Amino acid sequence: MTTITYPLSRIEGHARVVIDIHDDEVFRADFQAMEMRGFSYYVQGIPAEQITVIVPRICGVCSTAHQVASVKALEDLFGITPPPLACEIREVLLLGQLIQNQATSLFIFTMPDRVNASSLFEIAETPEGKSRQFSLAQMSLKIRKIGTDLISLAGGQFIHPIKTVIGGVTSSIPREKADAMIKTIEELLPMAVDLVDNYWQMSTEMVDRIGTWGDDEPTYYLASTEADSFRLNSKRLRVMCDEGRECHTFAPQEYENYLNIEESDYSYAGTSSFQGHIMRANSLARINLTNSFGTPKADAYLKRFGEAYGKPAHAILFFDLCRGIELVYALEKAKQMLETDLQHGEAMVRYAPRDGIGFGLVEAPRGPLIHRYEVENGLIKKADFIIPTVHNMLAIRRALMVAAKRYVSPEGISNELSRAVGRVVRAFDPCIACATK
Amino acid sequence: METPKDLPKFAVLQLSGCSGCEVSLLNSNEWISNFNLVYMPLVVSTHKLPEDIEVLLVSGGVRTDEDLHNLHKGASRSKKLIAVGTCALSGGVAQIPEGHISRESYLDSSHRLRLPSMLPRAYPIDKFVHVDLYLPGCPPTPELFITALKEAENARIASIVCQECGRKKLTDMRPTSISGPRSGTPDPEICLINQGYLCLGTSTRGGCGALCTRPGHACVGCRGPANPYLNKDPEFVLDNLRRVFTRMTDIPIEEINAALASPWLSLFLGQFTDYTQDQSLPQQTKEKMI
Repeated sequence: MTTITYPLSRIEGHARVVIDIHDDEVFRADFQAMEMRGFSYYVQGIPAEQITVIVPRICGVCSTAHQVASVKALEDLFGITPPPLACEIREVLLLGQLIQNQATSLFIFTMPDRVNASSLFEIAETPEGKSRQFSLAQMSLKIRKIGTDLISLAGGQFIHPIKTVIGGVTSSIPREKADAMIKTIEELLPMAVDLVDNYWQMSTEMVDRIGTWGDDEPTYYLASTEADSFRLNSKRLRVMCDEGRECHTFAPQEYENYLNIEESDYSYAGTSSFQGHIMRANSLARINLTNSFGTPKADAYLKRFGEAYGKPAHAILFFDLCRGIELVYALEKAKQMLETDLQHGEAMVRYAPRDGIGFGLVEAPRGPLIHRYEVENGLIKKADFIIPTVHNMLAIRRALMVAAKRYVSPEGISNELSRAVGRVVRAFDPCIACATK
Repeated sequence: METPKDLPKFAVLQLSGCSGCEVSLLNSNEWISNFNLVYMPLVVSTHKLPEDIEVLLVSGGVRTDEDLHNLHKGASRSKKLIAVGTCALSGGVAQIPEGHISRESYLDSSHRLRLPSMLPRAYPIDKFVHVDLYLPGCPPTPELFITALKEAENARIASIVCQECGRKKLTDMRPTSISGPRSGTPDPEICLINQGYLCLGTSTRGGCGALCTRPGHACVGCRGPANPYLNKDPEFVLDNLRRVFTRMTDIPIEEINAALASPWLSLFLGQFTDYTQDQSLPQQTKEKMI
């Protein structure tokens, strides 16, 4: 038996792919998380009201989603409803995170694969990159920075944000700051659209070259956005079955009835399935479960995507295209929301803590994220983090098998396999820190 | 014009952490034009740490045997090593204290075949290698990264967070309990301590721009203690906080003491002392600090 190990880069965290080959046949393909964060262990015993500062540190890439999920879990537990203004500001915050994350995944993590460069900064040096008439790297970082600026505006700082607190948000968004942000978005939106079009084109050129969009067997899909309202500060989860119809909806409180979550022996990250069925979360899941975004440019892309690739679409490299659509949506939507009054009105309500069990749900860039806390005598007795990347683990494994089988034959192992492994994993944009919470 | 190849070789080694430091660094666009980035797996597909690195940033704590191996390799191949963020400085948020209720179950569950082994603790990197410069923060802001990379020698850093906060300290507003966070929207102009928040800004190193306190969240001390309390027992900084709260509030001392025993504080204020309490390994004095 031959074992090949592929270390991975341009993803969040430490992971690798290990493929076992026996008699020219692929026997096993594992995606391994290499470290264990362990937050669910060491938050036990801490004062419940302090957990909202600690758990964003699970992951610096996804800290916004963890912070909002954590606050929502305690609000559920304490029986508080935050004021509408706070919910709007949290939505702006999560849109900022979506922009930052999708821009990072599109341009820093996956665009180099389109032209066989090792990083965004080397794209200009490849033949495919030279033909582009503008500086992809500088534009990409500018678009990404809109996301981090939005998080700073709505969250106080762009990593481990602090403005979302139990009861609401600590302060609102002044008109003049909102106006400055609107101006930036108006200025850069055409550039973002250009980048997404270029990315789309580069992707189809790559697929012409390699001959596949990757694993395209149907799976279940999981998202917590609504079909006609793409709200990230979400309330319930929705499931699409493998025949392509929406077959279940459930509240975060019911997740154990629907999701089977298990540890694995080959990785520090576990797996989850929908009652035993392989499922996918993240951009492609949301796009498959969305009828309309309600913003013109994103809706035009949604239509174009559906006409080109069908609905639902299943091939894994579509995840990347869908991230581009969501990037445009988040920019348009953030501008719309900043045009409303986010300055005046009650931003935060008083609260009194109590013991119990609480659930917090948000749609993180990688899919639905749930925090579940049990509080006893004011202290965390048990904390569970239901992580979007974990929902994709079985799908990643299957897609790796599909890729490995394509490139392993009696003639040998194709050099393309190493690139394919990177493309497959990056399509899912996994977050290893989160997955090993 | 200089090509990237002429610029000093720059590498980022990420041990066990959250990637927040790297994400912050990505926002300091200037670093791209001032260095030749030769290694940073989050951004560049290179798996080999090159020889002759000019500046090596290390983020994350030493949590696995692989972290330890990579740290030694990185230190031996670089001229200047900068420790970045709470985890590299102290082991970080992932540190489970001796005697914590979940320590045994965590260690029992953290074994896998064919994967790196978890060490019994998360260690600060200066337990194992020489560090030339420390950059504390969770994470350090992009501006602090630029300072550390470009002008560490002449850096002028605010001594405490209050200097950059701008909230007014009042003498006639004396809270009687630490109930600020439960009391609705904080006043935007007045010191959070006056409003009953457990804010650590008076004793925490500045330079962050008071990013948390200005919008109305108490400082949790992520930049660590201010200069007078560096390399001292955490009791020194706790004593100072006790003095501040006794002077500015009418909160009973028992409530202050209980609050000062909070995990927030142990996460960050302990980061400049021997946080791991492991006397078998040497500890550097953390002197050069941004």
